[in-house]
Amino acid sequence: MSPTDCEHVLRQIELYLDGELVGQIRLEVERHLGDCHPCSGHADFQRHLKEMLRSKCGCDRVPEELAERIHTMFGEAPPVRG
Amino acid sequence: MVQVARSQAAPTEDPALRARFEHEVLPLLPNLYGAALRMTRNPQDAEDLVQETYLRAYRGFGGFREGTNLRAWMYRILTNTFINAYRKKQREPVTVPEDDTPDWYLYDKLGGAGAEASAEAEVLEQLPDEDVQRALEALPEAFRMAVLLADVEGFSYKEIAEILDVPIGTVMSRLHRGRKALQKALWETVRERGLVTD
Repeated sequence: MSPTDCEHVLRQIELYLDGELVGQIRLEVERHLGDCHPCSGHADFQRHLKEMLRSKCGCDRVPEELAERIHTMFGEAPPVRG
Repeated sequence: MVQVARSQAAPTEDPALRARFEHEVLPLLPNLYGAALRMTRNPQDAEDLVQETYLRAYRGFGGFREGTNLRAWMYRILTNTFINAYRKKQREPVTVPEDDTPDWYLYDKLGGAGAEASAEAEVLEQLPDEDVQRALEALPEAFRMAVLLADVEGFSYKEIAEILDVPIGTVMSRLHRGRKALQKALWETVRERGLVTD
């Protein structure tokens, strides 16, 4: 595994994990990660970070009063208003 | 708080369209509210922003074209509403700070070279949700929006470019730099919490 390969792959990891790499380059990165322990360590960490962000920042409870208001205003069968 | 009578809000009395709005747009509420919280950093402003977003979407739904990405469409309205209403209020300038954080900052700080990646990930896992939310909310707006839309909401670069109305290259650079800035903030938090010792 040449250092150039690793440098190249590490620069592509964000794109790879974001699902933005396609075709040949995606296959190359995948193959490299399968063979290179340091690079796959980097990739795993970046993936964990992404998942952690999603689970810790995407779990806010909608205030009941807001949910009710939105459904009343924009739901299919709102109560008739005077 | 914006109070709107339904007669003013409804763009159409088409029952099919109303049903569609109910079934496809209303279920987005939890995600939109979470995103609004990260944008405004304040529960009351987040509520107002979400309500205003739904109002605009409801009014514009008659012109919504089949085949358009509904979720991205809603986030675009959310983002535009936020930018118009709240950026003015907060007077936050759109500045992008110096890029002085190296790649793999957090990984290297947590000693990634020596240990299994899962060990570093476990340290982060111990952080309370609120700490991570504050770290994200503290990012400059341009970075915060990119990271929020990509990592929390799972949008593609193309979708983010449409939502933020910027070129894809700009999305990529904001995302890259935003993630680095976030890693720096998370490292500070991890240290403050005493989860690591230097």
